[in-house]
Amino acid sequence: MSQQRTTLWEAELEEDLQDVDVNLAIGNYGQNGTYDDAQPRIDETTLLAVQQQMAQQAAFSQVPDVVKRFIVHFHQAVLENNLAEITVAYESGWNRLTEKFYAKTEWPEAEVIAPLVNDDQIFLILYRELYYRHVYSRLQPDIDDRFHSYENSCELFNYLLNSDGPVALELPEQWLWDIIDEFIYQYQSFCVWRSKVKSKTDEEIVLLSDESQVWSSYSVLNVLYSLIQKSKINEHIIALQEGKSTGEIDEIVGEYGVRPLYRMLGYFSIIGLLRVHTLLGDFTLALKIMENVELSQKSPFMRVTACHVTTFYYVGFCYIMLRRYPDAIRTFVNILNFIMRMRQYHTRSYQYDQINKTADRMYALLAICSALSPMRVDDNISNIVKERYGEQFTKMSRGEEGLPAFEELFLYACPKFISANPPPYEEGDQLAMYIEDPPIEPAQRHLSLFLSEVRAQAPVPTLRSFLKLYTSLDAAKLANFLDADEEEMVQQLMVMKQASRSVSRVDAENEKGLLDGQMASTSDLDFVIDEICQNMVHIAESTLGRKYAGWFIRNTEHAQRVFDALRNSPLPIPPKTNAPAGKAAPESAPSAAPRTGGRNVAWGGVKAA
Amino acid sequence: MATVASVWASPPTRTPLIENLVSGVDRYNPNNVGILEDYLYHQIRSEEYDCLANLAILKLYQFNPDLYNPDVVINILIKALTSSPFPDFNLCLSLLDERPISQNPDEPDPLPTLLPVLTTLYNLLQQCRFPAFWAMYRSEEAEALRDNYTVECVGFEDAVRGVVIRAVKAAFKRIGKARLESYLDLSGDELAVYVEKLGWTFEVSIGVVAVPPNLDNNPQSTVVQEAIQLPQLTKIIKHAALIA
Repeated sequence: MSQQRTTLWEAELEEDLQDVDVNLAIGNYGQNGTYDDAQPRIDETTLLAVQQQMAQQAAFSQVPDVVKRFIVHFHQAVLENNLAEITVAYESGWNRLTEKFYAKTEWPEAEVIAPLVNDDQIFLILYRELYYRHVYSRLQPDIDDRFHSYENSCELFNYLLNSDGPVALELPEQWLWDIIDEFIYQYQSFCVWRSKVKSKTDEEIVLLSDESQVWSSYSVLNVLYSLIQKSKINEHIIALQEGKSTGEIDEIVGEYGVRPLYRMLGYFSIIGLLRVHTLLGDFTLALKIMENVELSQKSPFMRVTACHVTTFYYVGFCYIMLRRYPDAIRTFVNILNFIMRMRQYHTRSYQYDQINKTADRMYALLAICSALSPMRVDDNISNIVKERYGEQFTKMSRGEEGLPAFEELFLYACPKFISANPPPYEEGDQLAMYIEDPPIEPAQRHLSLFLSEVRAQAPVPTLRSFLKLYTSLDAAKLANFLDADEEEMVQQLMVMKQASRSVSRVDAENEKGLLDGQMASTSDLDFVIDEICQNMVHIAESTLGRKYAGWFIRNTEHAQRVFDALRNSPLPIPPKTNAPAGKAAPESAPSAAPRTGGRNVAWGGVKAA
Repeated sequence: MATVASVWASPPTRTPLIENLVSGVDRYNPNNVGILEDYLYHQIRSEEYDCLANLAILKLYQFNPDLYNPDVVINILIKALTSSPFPDFNLCLSLLDERPISQNPDEPDPLPTLLPVLTTLYNLLQQCRFPAFWAMYRSEEAEALRDNYTVECVGFEDAVRGVVIRAVKAAFKRIGKARLESYLDLSGDELAVYVEKLGWTFEVSIGVVAVPPNLDNNPQSTVVQEAIQLPQLTKIIKHAALIA
């Protein structure tokens, strides 16, 4: 199997290099039919080997010196398990050189740079991990890239999981997260690419039918579950929650789990499973996997921002599909606040763009949830939602006619769903049928299920707007307003009642796991129907008392900032008077606060008038 | 105390064997599908329900199309139909990948014809259109579903009535007898027995059924007052402490 692939790859390498002068001669050997006929096969193999070697030497000579130095240095850092140096090479060196030399082409093949690293197989696997990631993100991976990147991932995980005991390798947490993240991304990317039958060449169809195990769901799940089990990460998290000491935890997690590499890979694999299950449409299992994980910023596993953001995005999305909109809202608001606070520190991170994109999708999902289950959320967040998705939000809040807006935002913000199974590549006639009558795309399937939930509660917004005007009301009159018959209206009222209740994780302290929760009222407007003589609808509204504290806190903080700024700015008077001014400062603090407040009240008054 | 969701995610009737399959990696072993299918038929016979175990069957079907058994899928969907307030029906459909039409003409797959019927029934329940649900359920269109499937599912109609009761209980203080009859598809003595079993009372003189007060049918106007937590004030206090 692998033999066949290797030759294929060699053949391609040869083709690629034909443009280069040095290789033209070598190319001629291969293409010269007379030699083929005249010489025994064994010679051809030797010839190929020589050719390949020469090609590699030629490619090697074209690698810029600075890249060579970088690779040698990088290799040294990995050999020494020098995390600081690895981080520098990984986060800045690699990206800088990519911009400079490989913005539009591949990095040198691992075989080409192998002499630089003494043929260190482990480093070459790591190098290929970066090599393929670069191909996926910057270039168009072809079928060989996809197969080889799978093979390389398998080699990496085999090395980690099936060596004699835990390996001594250490890598930065960010890189470990990226390994898992990229593994799943490439799996997802492969599934999507595989499902597009029409654009496949005959050769690709043969390969896909022969190699049906490549990037199979089972193989991906196997890796993730194995990492979780090897690292005993779930046991680790539970022990942490039980307040066990470091010594006790080391005892529990064993020789693999004590090593940061395995511990973090184990944790990231849980998040990876959350993602894979979501992509496959299993939203309950996705949240069940997270049973032990605490979604708290204080968790020691939350240091990698990208992982943090991914976790909340998928958890929030699963809650939407479980029709638990308040839980989804809480999840999104929590992480969006975090992203907003982190923004000042993260603008330079190479993942900043990615995080921002995910954040924008979460704002879209938040708009969806807020339309389905109106709820007061943090002002900063709700302002951004209004800014970005205000138009869609207005439409979505109008029931049935808002369906296109739901559809638009859902398709924009949903995960890239995949089918678990490949098209029937191995059966010619079935494949023809498949092309003739392709199945509905996964995203469309999930969209239509989601829209059926939305449609069911479509009458709610209109009904709500009428009920808000009354404290009690004759049902017949209400039906008249709505231009519906009374029975229909009563049914809609029951729908409204159901839509204003949701299973929710109200009491996160006592509820174990993300699936737990109890019924909670989610609406400020409540009502009951009393059918006596005629139907009466009694309506009650919960209102929020005026909030003073938040306003005072904000303004006090503002006053303190103004005060600090004033105190720190140099005064245009001789230094002699500086000291008394400083001493007077504490006294002026209390007087400053009410002054600021006073001005703002006046401003509020102006606005009201 | 067990919450609604914890009972849903892990019903007390689930045996340790099933729990092991639902929560462990053995759920991926195709050889275990038989155990889970037997458990489903046990649920069908004894009015039990375990959503996560049934989703585990669909997951095995998703990964191993060869295992696919349309009768099992239909039974799972029938059980999921009446699981309000949980969206189990759609959660099950999420796991049903589109599959090519069965190649075997001797054993036609009943799912493609029954799925639209089931989906319509589900939507009617979702929209609280109970009289329409019963009309559809009793119609000729649903005959195959009734005769081949729901007839085997013990307590199916009562499970539907359970959905109705949950909706009525939350929205009504008192409900007209005729209306309740049409929602429950029960009349006369049957209704009287049913209402009595619920512990609801018949107010015969005015022809209404009184629903006992519960958390949902007792709306109160409230004013929510703000509560300040110490952490909200830490910034201010810290600043004050620095100055002092």
